[in-house]
Parts: sequence; C-alpha cells; structure tokens
Amino acid sequence: MAAVIELDNLSVQLGQRIILNGLKGALSGRSIGLLGPNGSGKSTLINTLLGFYRPLSGSARIFGKDVASHLRDLRARIGYMPESDAFIADMSGVQFVRYMAEISGLPPSEAMERAHEAFFYVGLGEARYRKLGTYSLGMKQLAKLAQALAHGPRLLLLDEPTNGLDPEARTRLLQLVREIRDTGEVSVLISSHLLHDVEECCDEVMILKEGRIAALCNLEEERKANLKFLELEVSQGNGFLESVQALGCECASFGAGRLKVVLPDNIEVRQLYRLAAEHSVQIRRMNYRRDSLEDIFLKAMSQKETSTGNPPPPPPLPRSANGSL
Amino acid sequence: MAGRSRRRGRFTVLSRYGFSTLFSSRPFTAYTVLCMIPFLVGMTIVYLVHNAAVQSMLNGQFGRTTWINNLFFMRFLGIEAQMGFVLIAWGAPGMVSKDFANHAVQLYLSRPLSRAEYLLGKVSVIGVLLSSTTWIPTLVLFVLQAQLEGHGWGWTNFWMVGSIILSGLLGIALVSLVSMAIAVWVRWRIAATALLMGVFFVLPGLGAAINAVLRTRWGMLLNFTYLVGVVWTHLFRIVDRLGRPLGVFDLVPLWSAWATLLTVCLISLGLLHHRLKAREVERS
Repeated sequence: MAAVIELDNLSVQLGQRIILNGLKGALSGRSIGLLGPNGSGKSTLINTLLGFYRPLSGSARIFGKDVASHLRDLRARIGYMPESDAFIADMSGVQFVRYMAEISGLPPSEAMERAHEAFFYVGLGEARYRKLGTYSLGMKQLAKLAQALAHGPRLLLLDEPTNGLDPEARTRLLQLVREIRDTGEVSVLISSHLLHDVEECCDEVMILKEGRIAALCNLEEERKANLKFLELEVSQGNGFLESVQALGCECASFGAGRLKVVLPDNIEVRQLYRLAAEHSVQIRRMNYRRDSLEDIFLKAMSQKETSTGNPPPPPPLPRSANGSL
Repeated sequence: MAGRSRRRGRFTVLSRYGFSTLFSSRPFTAYTVLCMIPFLVGMTIVYLVHNAAVQSMLNGQFGRTTWINNLFFMRFLGIEAQMGFVLIAWGAPGMVSKDFANHAVQLYLSRPLSRAEYLLGKVSVIGVLLSSTTWIPTLVLFVLQAQLEGHGWGWTNFWMVGSIILSGLLGIALVSLVSMAIAVWVRWRIAATALLMGVFFVLPGLGAAINAVLRTRWGMLLNFTYLVGVVWTHLFRIVDRLGRPLGVFDLVPLWSAWATLLTVCLISLGLLHHRLKAREVERS
C-alpha cells in the first residue's frame, strides 16, 4: 500500500524547544493512530503536516507530495478537526460548514449540499440551523468533524477528537470514525493520548515520546498474531489439558484451572467447547488477549532509545545569560 | 472528490460572507443608506448652483459656481469619511474578532487560504464599503461639476481626480489596518470598537495635553484625523499664495504627517502579522 504520510528526518523547533526530533518513517494504514503522553509532539506533528509550522530540518510528505512545496494543493485534500474549540459562534451549523467548504474550493451550491449531508452524517441534522454558540461540547465536536468532512478530503486529521466527551458521545464519535475509515475513500490520522480510542479505530500506530518515534507498528498484524491467544479459566477436569494439546495447541497451566492456549490457524474455538463437553469441564471464563497496544505503549514508554533507528537526542541549544538563543 | 472552484481569488468567499453578515443587520444597512445622504445633498448643491432658473428665482443668492472648488471637494470627502468611519467602527471589528474569539482562524488557514488572502478578504470588505461612501461619490460629484460647468473646467482641475482617489485610499488604508489590528488583538467586538474609537478620539486628547504641558505642537502627531487633514490639505492644494496650508492644518510639517500615518499602518501590519497565525507558539 502506498504511504499516506512519510516523514524524513523531520525536526520542528518552537521557541527555544525542539518539539519534534528527527522523525523518520512511513505511515500507510487506512487509519493511523498517533499516540503519546501530553507534550510528546502529537499536535505539533499534525500542525506541521498542515504547514502551520515550518520544519527545522527534514521534510514531510503526504500522498507522496512534499508538504512545504505543495501546501495549497494538499490543504484542499485534507480535513482538519482541531483539538480546541474552533467555530464562529453566531453562525448556524450548516452555514459555518458551507462557508468552510467554500473556502476549501467547493462552489456555493455544492458546498451547501455537502454541508447538509455532512450534518446528517454526523447525526446533527436536526440542529443544523441552530447557532454554533448554543451547541453542547459533544455537538461542537461533531460539528468540527462535519466541517472537516464536507469538502470531501482524502486525509482526515483528527486531533484528540474525543476530548471532553461523555461516554455515549465518545462511542458515537469513534463509531463515525470507523465508518469513515471503512468507506475506504478517506485515510484517517487520529492523535490521542487514549489507548482505547486508537485501538478501536486504527490499524497502524505511531507512538511519540519526547518528540521522537518510540514505536511504529501495524496494529492489524499485532491483532492477527494475538487473535489465537486465549486465556481460559475452567473447572478441574481430567484429561482436558492433554486433549487440547493433542489438538495441536500450545498450552500452559497456571493452577486453579487457569490456562493459556495458543490456537493454530486450523483450530477454532468451538473445538475447545466440544472437548470441554466431552471431558465434562466447565469453561468459566474465556478471553482473547487484547492488551497488545497497551503492551506496545508501555514498552515504548519504558525504552530509553527507540527501535526505529532515531539518533540520540542532540545536545541542548546554547543559551545566553538571559536565556535567549 | 468534489468539484473545485477556481484556485485564485478564494479570498472573495470571505468578502462575500463578510458583506452578507454585515448587511444581515438592519441598523447597519440603514446607516449605510444614511451615508449616501451627503452625496445626494452634494449633488443637489452642484446642480442648483448651475441651474439658471433657480439662481434667477433666488436673485443669485443661492451661491456662485466658484463655490465648487477644491475646498468644497475636500470638505465633502471629509464629511463622507467621518460617516464612513462610524460605519467601519460598527462593522469591521466584528468581522475579525468572531474568527479569533473561538479559534476559527486555524480552520481558515488549514484550507487552501494564506494569511495574506485572509487579510485581503476582510480588508476588501472595509475597502469596498469605505470607497463607496467616500472617494467614489466624491469622484461622481466631480464629474457632475465638470459636466455642468463646462468650459474646460474638468481638464483644468483634472489633478483633483488624483487627489480625491489618493486621499480616499489613504483614509481607507489607515482605518482598515488599524481596525483589523485592534480586532485581532482584542477579540471582543465591543471592546475592539471602543478601542478603535479611543485611538481616533482619545489619543488626540492626549496629544493636546502633551501640547499644553510641553508647549509644543508635536502632540498633534497623536491626532490621526488631524494628520489625515494635513495630508489632504496638501493633496487638494488648499494653500495660500506662499504655498502654506490654509486653515488649521499647519501645526505639523507635511513630512511628519506622512511619516506618522505610514508608521501607524506599518505597526498595524506588524501586529496583524504577529497575531494572524493558526497556532500560537508557546515560548519556554
């Protein structure tokens, strides 16, 4: 799959701090998660991709085009949902989205049509004529998503999209993101510090730590690798463990009926149920191992050096006595 | 991918929405119409002065055609400019402060729209509004006068066309840049309007106080309206036989008026450049 975003030794300095430090990598997933603790450089990376910040060194490419030299063209193909509030309070929702779509390049009549479609798509159809200043936080987030979608972008940049949302609104927004991803027409980059959001929506993840890439992995592959890894809790039963092993599964017992089983590709879960029935064993709990992203994240956070070949951090910039460069 | 409109001239979208927002307010629309009244009065005066029937009816007491001269056009432009200023003080800050109040600027700039285009889109609204209430009516009046007067009056006074346009554009540049810079920094429409009024009406008071305390005239440099008057007086050649400006516009030299007005415009541009960003960089 062609890379959506390519980073080539990208460094960004804001004020006196280097925020992004020699990022290198290619992201080609349909839905890309950008993870990292607060201050790790997630929003800065998004802002750099939008051309808001000029790189100190290196470059970034989107759909193979250099951000610095094709900024105008790329911005027409990007939808951006910022982290903070971003709206014009005394405009109605649909008027605001139409306005933004027109600035993106749509003719007025088409912009109006797309604005209505976008509002219905995000579930705010009934509220589209209300002024944005009267929207609740969750509605404002959805309106921001609508304005990012209305002009038909090929890449959607979502900066902390679930910030401040209640569980219901959060679930709704993540569901929308998954639907957008599954259309196959739009690539999505989600910046978040919430593992669960990224795990639910993304098939590729880049983890940033102190402005460097701490991990870059394909979640889809990780999921496939973990799909056959089961944790079981069973009532004591003679011969069940041996029968499972006889099926060709790797199996380990941890006492008190707790088992870990790795299923080969040709073995299905129902065969375990059948064996349990044959041995009169009661399966009390069965979990797929689903903590892969958390594992990856914790491992990445605990690493001092990255595995992606990033250079060690440069020495601090020289300062004069008054603190300026 | 949805159909795309032209790449250039995207700032016109901002202008169109700007006009639409301003004229959605009935009081604003009414006041804009009110701004046309001096123009109608001016046209009536020019017509009546040249109307033989009226003159004979009033025994020639209505006025002489020599009234309609450079001073008449400068005064007319001044009246129109004052009305136009109120129009801008009312409408301009809101156009920009709304975008800044809730961080909508980042949404503009994440699209194929540069900061210069954003500014152009907003300034063009002020420019068109002020032009249509200041130098364009004055120019129409000049054409009417030239037509009615005849005898080569138009060609003899053709230099005034440049004076009218340049004077109008100077006023527009000053008012639009200062009002935008204030709106971008203050972000609250009412406060921005108050501050704009303060710049044009309170600073002159400060300047007068400086003049009184220090026994100088340089305090007039804080009176931007006065400085515009100084420049206009020269552009309209309102001078005595020795080439000195007539009336009250001789307290500061011409060069200082130009320099101050250009400096104010440049400072406003600098403030806009500094503030008009998608993201604010936190300095550590």
